[in-house]
Amino acid sequence: MQELTQQVVSGLANGGIFASLALALVLIYNAMGLVNFAQGEMAMFATFIAFTLINHGFSYWFALPLTVAIAFAGGVLIQRVVIRPVERAPVLTLVIVTLGLATLINGAAGFLFGYVPRVFPSPFSVSTVNLLGAYLSYQDMGVIVVSGVVLVLIYLLLQRTTIGLMMRAAAHHREASRLLGVRVSWMLALGWGLASAVGAVSGIMVAPVLVLEPNLMQTIIIYAFAAAVLGGIESPLGAVVGGLIVGVTVNLAGAYIPFVGGDLQLAVALAIIVGVLIVKPNGLFGRPSVRNV
Amino acid sequence: MTAGAANLLELVDVRGGYGPTSVLHGVSLQVPEGSIVSLLGANGAGKTTTLRAITGVIHWTGDIRFAGHSLRRMATEDIVSSGITHVPEGRGILTELTVDENLRLGAHKRKDRDAVRKDYDRVFEYFPVLRERRRLSASTLSGGEQQMLAVARALLMKPRLMLLDEPSLGLAPMVVRSIFEIIRSINQSDHVAVLLVEQNARLALELSSDAYVLEVGRVAVSGKSAELQGQESVRRSYLGY
Amino acid sequence: MQLIQQRLRTAPPRYWLVLVVALFFVGLPTVVSSFQSSEWTQVLIFAIVIMGLNILVGYSGQISLGHGALMAVGAYTSAILIHRYHVDYLVTIPIAGLLTGLVGFLLGIPALRLSALYLALATFALAVVTPSLIKRPVELTGGVQGILIAAPDPPQFAKDAFAAITGGPAMTSDQWMYYVSLFLALLLFWFAWNIVRHRPGRAMRAIRDREVAAATFGINIAAYKTMAFGISAFYAGVAGALYGVTSGFVSPDSFPLALSFQLLVGTVIGGLASIAGPLVGGIFTFWLPIISSQFVSSQPWIPAQIASAFQKAGPAVTYGALLIVIMIFAPNGIVGLVVAGYARLQARLRGAGDRGTGQMPPDPQTV
Repeated sequence: MQELTQQVVSGLANGGIFASLALALVLIYNAMGLVNFAQGEMAMFATFIAFTLINHGFSYWFALPLTVAIAFAGGVLIQRVVIRPVERAPVLTLVIVTLGLATLINGAAGFLFGYVPRVFPSPFSVSTVNLLGAYLSYQDMGVIVVSGVVLVLIYLLLQRTTIGLMMRAAAHHREASRLLGVRVSWMLALGWGLASAVGAVSGIMVAPVLVLEPNLMQTIIIYAFAAAVLGGIESPLGAVVGGLIVGVTVNLAGAYIPFVGGDLQLAVALAIIVGVLIVKPNGLFGRPSVRNV
Repeated sequence: MTAGAANLLELVDVRGGYGPTSVLHGVSLQVPEGSIVSLLGANGAGKTTTLRAITGVIHWTGDIRFAGHSLRRMATEDIVSSGITHVPEGRGILTELTVDENLRLGAHKRKDRDAVRKDYDRVFEYFPVLRERRRLSASTLSGGEQQMLAVARALLMKPRLMLLDEPSLGLAPMVVRSIFEIIRSINQSDHVAVLLVEQNARLALELSSDAYVLEVGRVAVSGKSAELQGQESVRRSYLGY
Repeated sequence: MQLIQQRLRTAPPRYWLVLVVALFFVGLPTVVSSFQSSEWTQVLIFAIVIMGLNILVGYSGQISLGHGALMAVGAYTSAILIHRYHVDYLVTIPIAGLLTGLVGFLLGIPALRLSALYLALATFALAVVTPSLIKRPVELTGGVQGILIAAPDPPQFAKDAFAAITGGPAMTSDQWMYYVSLFLALLLFWFAWNIVRHRPGRAMRAIRDREVAAATFGINIAAYKTMAFGISAFYAGVAGALYGVTSGFVSPDSFPLALSFQLLVGTVIGGLASIAGPLVGGIFTFWLPIISSQFVSSQPWIPAQIASAFQKAGPAVTYGALLIVIMIFAPNGIVGLVVAGYARLQARLRGAGDRGTGQMPPDPQTV
């Protein structure tokens, strides 16, 4: 029972990471109608920035928000420079552009920071605390708390502020929002900035657990896709719930199903994606969309 | 047509359309301050396209001036901010948001909080159903209720000119009448000018002071609504009744 | 005789171009080194995959980010048949193609339910997971270490013919495999061209452009879409088998996600729904990474540390940047750009009046 609790808590921690990245994917999907294949790489790059800041003496709790702010600016910049010119292009072009972006950022990270794996410091000690008979690590709990705080902040921003309202309006109803005086183009850019910022958090949370190198996020993004698809690609709430479910499921599968080893956990994620897409394509919280003829 | 009283909106020889297809072939019209003007014509005559040109949704040539300023090259958001509200065909309701959120977006640019609160009260007085369904998703509203929301939202934007595209479309006659009554009272109390595109020519002529009839992208007939109503030949050939 | 003469006279310039290109390829190994021939073999192999991918993406409008995985299926099928069951390598190629085609067809069935984006996601995930899945059944696939394949010896008739033409050293295995690949490429090209030209091609294009309308015309959407998947997988399987035999080696790491990505990119860059596109795409896919990494190290003014870091990262940065730029400015690919430019030139030469822009739009992409 204790081990189960440990695995579940650990899964929730991973889930928090997946949820953050999945939320980033959902935000951009809502704004653009496409999945940003470069989201993981952007998060990785931000994590490297955080690493550099910490190495230059900044404390972790100062570097984190600073990196998030930089990531935000980066996201806005990318939307303005790369995405806007191809806004109205068909899906395939956009997919290729985001893939190109992913390659570009990955290469840039390799160029600027090198391919040597680095150890990313964590403010949470790896020691465990005995809670109700189970040994839970501070690291896991710290991740859960930080992810939780970030997700709540995003929720408040989107649902309770005027700017959040404008972003949501611009994401779902472009033309109609323009007619209400909403600066749609800038709202979309903000959406990208926000997504990039959330993704950065995801990267910084996962880096201490894995090693920091340019290919850090390539597996994480698959889990994030699974989470977003499971939750319903349009639903931010779905991304969070999906992330937690994927985190826990994958962890439990790895622990209790002998066949599923380290790298095949990814296959579990794939199975989730495919399964959901076949059985309930709109995910848990998604809404079936009407096809316009 | 009417010189004299300052023209809030003026279109001179406007041409435009969608990509290579040209729909408007030289439309000229004026909307005087505080008046209601109707824009009539059959399907495909270019009425909606005219409104789209005004709010900058399509490319056009010619001249469009609002309160003396040319609207050329202005982004839609800026045109709207300068005092023109466009309730498009299909009402432009943001169905992913709640009724309240739709209304908030109408008022979001205004700084005069007291006036905004008063306008909210007025809006709920005109359309009590909106107050009841405030927290619900806008997609749960019926067609008529959505039209009410659209007009309410437009009112909250405190425009100087309201462009209404086919407000009667798909609505029951009673609902249409009450909406038109509200438009009339908004026009009278707030001096909001209205450019009304309608297929229901009779109602439009009753409400408006001046009218233009479009045919194949050009103004075929224009004049005072009262006169047009009286001319049977005009009614028969252009207005279908 | 007269018919042939007439045909030759009225053949559009395009046909001559094809002939010239074909002759170039046939003659190539006689003038370049064996190693260079093997490089061009890789180009041809990529071109074959891209031909198939072109049918899937360009004509039937479905995205796949997983064709590298399909190549792996073909490659491993062939490798396992050669290694364990001692099947002749030439025979394994069509078998690999058919088996992979079947896999593709089966994949095409659930794919019907997915929108363009979800399909991209699902195939993306497939491509990521495949190397891990290959590693598992170690007995069969050799696990991480993969399978070695002996380089095939050219048959006597080929050696004799080659020696007669070049009067030089005996034909190498690489050169022989070049001709095998070329033969298959031409055959498969002809096959693809016929599909596209006739009813299936038209049906697929109708589906791509307006699926709902196509259904009202009585076109069996499901059948054509899964068929497209199957065909494109067949091509990938053949190419995969060739890849294995020509490299002499297959391993899970030979087919990473990046490969699937490069294939899709090559398809788009070459030009979707165009006949010449796959060849251009193949050239692009093979040469760009090499050129971009060699370019930097050959520049003497770049210090060694930067050059070596760039060696690893450079191709990616160049690649990614180039991709983005091309998508922004030439979304119909290089061939599309050429076709549009050619059309504009023709219009100008013919003195077409100023009716709007007077430009013939290239085949629209509406994936």
